[in-house]
Amino acid sequence: MSAGKCPVNSTIYRLKDMIEMNRLVDPYCRRIAEEILELIDDIAWGRAGEDHIPTIDSLSRELSEKGADDSCKETGEFVQTALQENMEVFVSHVKTHNCNTGECILLAPAPCQTACPAGIDVPSYVTLIGMGRDAEAIDVIRRDNPFPWVCGLVCTRPCEFMCVRARIDTPISIKFLKAFAAEKAMSDGQYRNPEKEPDKDKKVAVIGAGPAGMSAAYYLALKGYTVKIFEALPVAGGMMMVGIPRYRLPREVIDREAAMLEDLGVEFVFNTRFGKDITIEQLKEEGFEAFLFAIGAHKPYKLNIPGENDYPQVIDSIDILRNVALGERHSPGKKVVVIGGGNVAIDAARTCTRLGCEEVTIAYRRTHSEMPADEEEVEQAEEEGIKMSFLTVPVEIVGQDGKVTGLHCLRAEMITKAGSDRKFPVPVENSDFTIDADAVISAIGQQVDSEGFDTLTGLTWTRRNTIDVNRACMETSIQGVFAAGDAVLGPATIVEAIGGGKKAAQAIDRYLSGIPQPKLPPVPVRRGRLDFMEVPASTKMSLKRPEMPLLNFNRRRVTFQQVELGYSENAVREEARRCLRCDVCRRCGACVDVCRDRMEINALKLGYLDFDHPVQTDFRETADRCIACGACAENCPNGAMIIEDVGDERVLSICGTILNRLKLEYCEVCGTALGPAKYHDYITRRLKGIAKTTEGRSICVECARKMAAHQHNEEIIPIR
Amino acid sequence: MFRRGDKVEIFKKSEDEGWQDYMDEFVGFHGIVTDPDSNINDPDALIEVSLVDKGTHRIPQDCLRKLEE
Ligand SMILES: Cc1cc2nc3c(=O)[nH]c(=O)nc-3n(C[C@H](O)[C@H](O)[C@H](O)COP(=O)(O)OP(=O)(O)OC[C@H]3O[C@@H](n4cnc5c(N)ncnc54)[C@H](O)[C@@H]3O)c2cc1C
Ligand code: SF4
Repeated sequence: MSAGKCPVNSTIYRLKDMIEMNRLVDPYCRRIAEEILELIDDIAWGRAGEDHIPTIDSLSRELSEKGADDSCKETGEFVQTALQENMEVFVSHVKTHNCNTGECILLAPAPCQTACPAGIDVPSYVTLIGMGRDAEAIDVIRRDNPFPWVCGLVCTRPCEFMCVRARIDTPISIKFLKAFAAEKAMSDGQYRNPEKEPDKDKKVAVIGAGPAGMSAAYYLALKGYTVKIFEALPVAGGMMMVGIPRYRLPREVIDREAAMLEDLGVEFVFNTRFGKDITIEQLKEEGFEAFLFAIGAHKPYKLNIPGENDYPQVIDSIDILRNVALGERHSPGKKVVVIGGGNVAIDAARTCTRLGCEEVTIAYRRTHSEMPADEEEVEQAEEEGIKMSFLTVPVEIVGQDGKVTGLHCLRAEMITKAGSDRKFPVPVENSDFTIDADAVISAIGQQVDSEGFDTLTGLTWTRRNTIDVNRACMETSIQGVFAAGDAVLGPATIVEAIGGGKKAAQAIDRYLSGIPQPKLPPVPVRRGRLDFMEVPASTKMSLKRPEMPLLNFNRRRVTFQQVELGYSENAVREEARRCLRCDVCRRCGACVDVCRDRMEINALKLGYLDFDHPVQTDFRETADRCIACGACAENCPNGAMIIEDVGDERVLSICGTILNRLKLEYCEVCGTALGPAKYHDYITRRLKGIAKTTEGRSICVECARKMAAHQHNEEIIPIR
Repeated sequence: MFRRGDKVEIFKKSEDEGWQDYMDEFVGFHGIVTDPDSNINDPDALIEVSLVDKGTHRIPQDCLRKLEE
């Protein structure tokens, strides 16, 4: 192993190569090699425990001693040697969570990828989409998330909040690009499953067909496990299907992506509730060896006000959304009040409008600015005519002859309590009023429904009534039993459920293979390093994030048609070109420092490099001062900044953004390329010996040296 | 109360059971709130925060403070 290189990192590269180049043909040997790779990856990322090195040692010994063929043995011996020769470095990675050479850091994912709870390699797929390679982009996404189309439409997009481009203007529209590529790949018939590993003859039971359960099933099936999903409802999708309304997420999108699991051999068993229709003992008898509980959070909180249990027109938002998703189309009433200020309240209210309710009011105890719902959702609801009643505290549901007639409320004012910086809604005395209504829908949150779980003795629950797991690997208090998604986190998001499901699948695979679990959650894996897309600095600065075209108001008010109509192909390709390729530019600032401090030119206005204090960025300004000396490129540790001679020009670029392009000059004496005039002037100004020798003429170092020797001038210093 | 997009710092470990051992190394890190409790703004809920270089996690709110813009 070469000096100055991190042996952990080099072992990963070499082993990856051996696996990816298909040098290991024996399936068992290949599998062990992949397990070793995963364990070394843990070590590189400082998430390994004490068992990791001994396990790598014993697995690689198994390969070298019992391997089926020469390539197996060679692989085992390679890992054994790497481990023995560099034991101290491996141990130091485990103990200090640090790589002294910093090389393991160069494998680090971009901020968007790090931010994604499913760990998708965003820059790679955004670049592929920019290149028009949509199906390949979907392949990249599905290595970490089997639901690119769903997420392209309704993901809460944490990636966009961390997108570095937002420090310049607005984040890349990562979510919508994904939706475009998924739709295109599906429509072109190129949305495909990756190849499955050979059958392992081991069975895993998944309870719940939401995103967490289905993601786990997908990755387990790919690993060769036999997976059955038991689902209480008659459909797959969980809250994606029975929570999120169709105008935000069409059913076909979920059905198509769920069908990809069936193609892999995953079996769905519907209308089967764990704890009622099946027990863990029965499943064990059927041969299941590991279990994943991904049951979501479907039990609504009660309003706890008088009248709540007295009228059939008091409905919970989760119930009405589920019934509508399953085909119910009757409107709950003419005048409906929805209680709550979150996303679920907005979804319920907008659903009521589409069911034909004449007046829909959202009653919320705080003010508009405190509403927890997303701003865009609130805006779209208001556009559709939904009324908002703020500072409204429901006190009683009133009615007559068994029917709701209104919601009795008090006005509130926001008051800061002593010792807290949070304002609380406090009811104002004698401020009561009634909102006329013939139906009241409550949307004040959900929790995990633990009914039927008392038979799972030994399973521990948190005080929030969620299943208690070690979140590094989603293992519960019972061996071989795992949990993921809302069941663990409380009501959360789809992409977190997907990430949790994937993590659980990895942990189940480890459990069934007798491999130790990691101490830290997985670090996202980079899926490649794509070529840069060339974009002129002015284009990079002037491209704007496209607006999303919406369905017209009238149709929005009466149908469940998708509201967001999607970007045009041209908008998608252009948007991808705004990406800064943060998988390659690590934002270390070495280029800016060398240009400013050592060269004293200060041509790089890259204010986006810092998270805490971003200042102005303008790629266009580089050309004003840059002399194309190449010091920045020379000092870039990861090949983001590149200087190269193209035709008769010297071109400086950062991750494909062209910062400067200067005409080359040629030696007047011998004709070799000298560099641009600006650069040449800079050097000659600095190096008086040459200046004197060349007297403003364009002459290369060699020729200048010869001339200087001739003139007995010894001051010449070599230049580029 | 935290809102989506707020810049925050993890300024201490939390005693809450939602705090995991591996989160100890997050103290001092900065990030952005990516999904607060979007139902009822419950101050007791675990909220989703994306931390620079450390990924996205559900974290108890008592260990978070807003950073001035
Ligand atoms: C109205 C609404 C809108 C939302 N909008 C968004 C959004 O726009 N973006 C976003 O990211 N997230 C959104 N969410 C949240 C998101 O849907 C959930 O976080 C996500 O679906 C959780 O996935 P899960 O797999 O953990 O659970 P779920 O999706 O809830 O799936 C759990 C499954 O388990 C089944 N199940 C439960 N108990 C049993 C049992 N005992 N036996 C067998 N099966 C059982 C359930 O029927 C269900 O199918 C929304 C949620 C709601 C309610
Ligand atoms: S600019 Fe591109 S690579 Fe950088 S964070 Fe945004 S999407 Fe990711």
